Amino acid sequence: MSEKALSELSAGPGMTTRTDNAKPVVTGGKKREGIRVGRALPPVVAFILFIGGWELFCELADMKPYLLPAPSDIVRAATENASNLWVSVYTTISEAVLGFLLSIVLGVGLAIVLASSKLVERSVYPYAIIMQTIPIVAVAPIIVIWFGAGMNAIVIIAFLIGFFPMLSNTLIGLNSTDHNMKNLFYLYNASPIQTMFRLRLPAALPYIVAGLKISCTLAVIGAIVGEYIAGIGGGKGGLGYAITVAASRLHTAYLFACGLSASLLGIAFFLLVNAFSKWMLSSWHESEMNSSEG
Amino acid sequence: MEATASTKEWVRMERLSKVYPNGTVAVQDVNLSIREGEFLCFVGPSGCGKSTIFKMITGLSGPTGGSLEVMGTSPKQARKQSDTAFVFQDHTLLPWSSVIDNVALPLAIRGVSRRERKEEAERALELVGLKDYAKAMPRQLSGGMKMRASIARALVSRPKLLLMDEPFGALDEITRQTLQLELLDIWNRNKEMTVLFVTHNVFEAVFLSTRIVVMTPRPGKVAAMIDVPVPFPRDESFRTTPEFGQIVRSVSDALKH
Repeated sequence: MSEKALSELSAGPGMTTRTDNAKPVVTGGKKREGIRVGRALPPVVAFILFIGGWELFCELADMKPYLLPAPSDIVRAATENASNLWVSVYTTISEAVLGFLLSIVLGVGLAIVLASSKLVERSVYPYAIIMQTIPIVAVAPIIVIWFGAGMNAIVIIAFLIGFFPMLSNTLIGLNSTDHNMKNLFYLYNASPIQTMFRLRLPAALPYIVAGLKISCTLAVIGAIVGEYIAGIGGGKGGLGYAITVAASRLHTAYLFACGLSASLLGIAFFLLVNAFSKWMLSSWHESEMNSSEG
Repeated sequence: MEATASTKEWVRMERLSKVYPNGTVAVQDVNLSIREGEFLCFVGPSGCGKSTIFKMITGLSGPTGGSLEVMGTSPKQARKQSDTAFVFQDHTLLPWSSVIDNVALPLAIRGVSRRERKEEAERALELVGLKDYAKAMPRQLSGGMKMRASIARALVSRPKLLLMDEPFGALDEITRQTLQLELLDIWNRNKEMTVLFVTHNVFEAVFLSTRIVVMTPRPGKVAAMIDVPVPFPRDESFRTTPEFGQIVRSVSDALKH
């Protein structure tokens, strides 16, 4: 399952292939176990070969560690600075999670407002799209000017980057409610608010969940970009800040360790959100139920 | 069906017409009076305007000519009084709600108390034989059971007028016949309920109804009105009587004109 979730991470949500389900049912646990090992083996072998080759290359070519640190150097840098690294990871997690939560609340909230009135949607949504096209690195300095360097600005940058996918996904979901269902609510004299919260919002759940999956990885990226621009030191800087410091000191091994931590953080965050969405949808969404097997 | 002084007129159409903006004449000059306690079928091929008439009675779309009264008032006003209920070809059950919550939905929308909602929903589920599936989710039900739940949802508000738009159209023949019998049984127990049933299946129309409105397309108008003077309760044996065959033939003949 996690392998599939990872492929989804790169392909984007909604693009999962159904190869697992298309295969004939394998009888006997042993055979299935064998297939699983067989599938995990190639990437593991490739990983070992790659790391080993890298280590060997650094050894033989006598690479300077500040140009290309060997894997062992990276591991050493990470363990020697474990407490600093952990503080950075923790800071980045908190910023990303806060920004992510903000983007959910405001993204879904604004989508509900826009979906409630075609007029409001037509007048506001185009500007939301235009806002989205402004690069975050151009917006970030303005945020710093308004909110000052530090946590606040970083959370807002993380929020901004995840906000639009939430908004647009939820809006599409709210606007694609089944026509017959809408008629049913209309015929039973449901108020627009009843229709919104009893029908349109629950029906939009698969779309909202797709938005969550996009926004959660973006929020991590947003937090790190924010730290680049608005990061503050004092032993509490996040991964982005630690990366800039490590780069300026040519502490390349630690820079690698920070980059890898950021990547692991993003993956962990995605898997968490992915598991949460599966659990949330499992109560009713059939296709999601089927694709979580295997 | 001769109207007596005591029977109320639930639906009244006079020269009812509907022309779509693109010029299609969906319904032309339909005159029809539907009285309390009738089981009336609209039968005809697709495009004959039967679903358009259905939509106008529900108030989903307005007529472009003539007049239409439902329960003595406008279709929209009639719907506001909650005396009408609806069943569509699509079961339209909410996939995230249990069967009983789905059945209780019309009452929940109206703000009926939780206890009364539960009682009424259980009563409706018992009528359609789904009492043991109250807690199940719609996806756990077969097509026929989903349609039963959908009918229970319509019956939960004790409607005076039940509007059904090809409700059994998506079911297999065997399930369809079972549900026809069950529907007649429910109706037979509560003859005050008037049923308007849209179908393209002649056999279904003859088996179920007290009166059949045969419609022909382009433009959609009434080709014939055929009474089915066979007493209720009817059972499976009715399908094989000579009388059944005769009425089917006269409906089929009317459809060819």
